[in-house]
Amino acid sequence: MGNIMSASFAPECTDAKVKYDDCFNNWYSEKFLKGKSLENECTELWDEYITCVNTALAKQKIKPMLDKAREDQPFSKEEIQADVKEHYERTGK
Amino acid sequence: MVQVFEGSHIFNYDFPTVSFAYLNRYPNPFAKHVLSIDTLDCKVDELGRLNTTRLIVKTGRLPSFIKPFLGSSLNSWIIEKTLIDPKTNQMCTYTSNIDHRKFIRVEEYLNYSSMSPSSTQVEMKVKFSSNFIGFKQKIEEWSHKRFSTNSANSREGLNYVISQLNDKKKLWMNANV
Repeated sequence: MGNIMSASFAPECTDAKVKYDDCFNNWYSEKFLKGKSLENECTELWDEYITCVNTALAKQKIKPMLDKAREDQPFSKEEIQADVKEHYERTGK
Repeated sequence: MVQVFEGSHIFNYDFPTVSFAYLNRYPNPFAKHVLSIDTLDCKVDELGRLNTTRLIVKTGRLPSFIKPFLGSSLNSWIIEKTLIDPKTNQMCTYTSNIDHRKFIRVEEYLNYSSMSPSSTQVEMKVKFSSNFIGFKQKIEEWSHKRFSTNSANSREGLNYVISQLNDKKKLWMNANV
C-alpha cells in the first residue's frame, strides 16, 4: 500500500492524470499557497487530461446526474443562510 | 428525514501540509474502497481562491437494505467541491453522492482553518437526507454508524498521507544535502 498510484476512473486517462497531478501539486505548494501565482500553470497537461476524461465521461450513464450535481453551490451565500436557518430550527439556538 | 452529525479535530501540522494532504488523500490504506479520483474543474476566482470540482468513485457503499431497489449496483459516484483561500489559510470542502439521491443523500462539509503555525482545525458536518419514510429507522442507524467509522477513517487516512509526505520531504532533503 502507499505506492499504489492514484487512478482515473477511466484507465486510459491515468497517465495523463498523474502528469497533471504532479504539475498541479508542485504549483499548489510552491506557488499558489505562497502567493506567487494565481494562475494554474499546468494548462497543457490539463488540456490533455480533461479531454481524455470528458471523452470517457460522455460514454457513462452517470453523465446527466453528474452534470446536475456539478450545479450544487455548497459555498454560496444562500446555502450558508439556509444552513444557519436549519441549525436554528434544529437546535432552537 | 434529515440527520446531522457534527464534530471537530485538530491536526498538529500547518495548513499547507494539511490542505496538500487533503487534495492527495487517495489512495491510502484507510480508504481501500476508493477506486479513483479525477479533477473536473480547477480555477482561481476573482478573490484569489482556488475552486476545484472532483469526481470520486468508490465501491458500493450504500446500505444493503437499499440494494434491492438499485438492481445489481455497483459503484458510488461522489462529487467533491473544494474552496481554498491562501490568504486566510482556510479550506472548505463539500462532498455528496451523485446517484441514488432519491433514496439517500449524504452531504459532508469540512472546514479547515489554520490555528497556529503548527496546527490546523477541521470542523465537520455530515447531513443525511432521505424521502423514504419507510426506511427512517434503518437509515438513522446506518448513518450514525457510518458517520463514526467514516470520520475516524478519514482522520487516520489523512494522518497516513501526511506521514508519507514527511518521509518524502526528508528523502528529498537528504538527497539535496
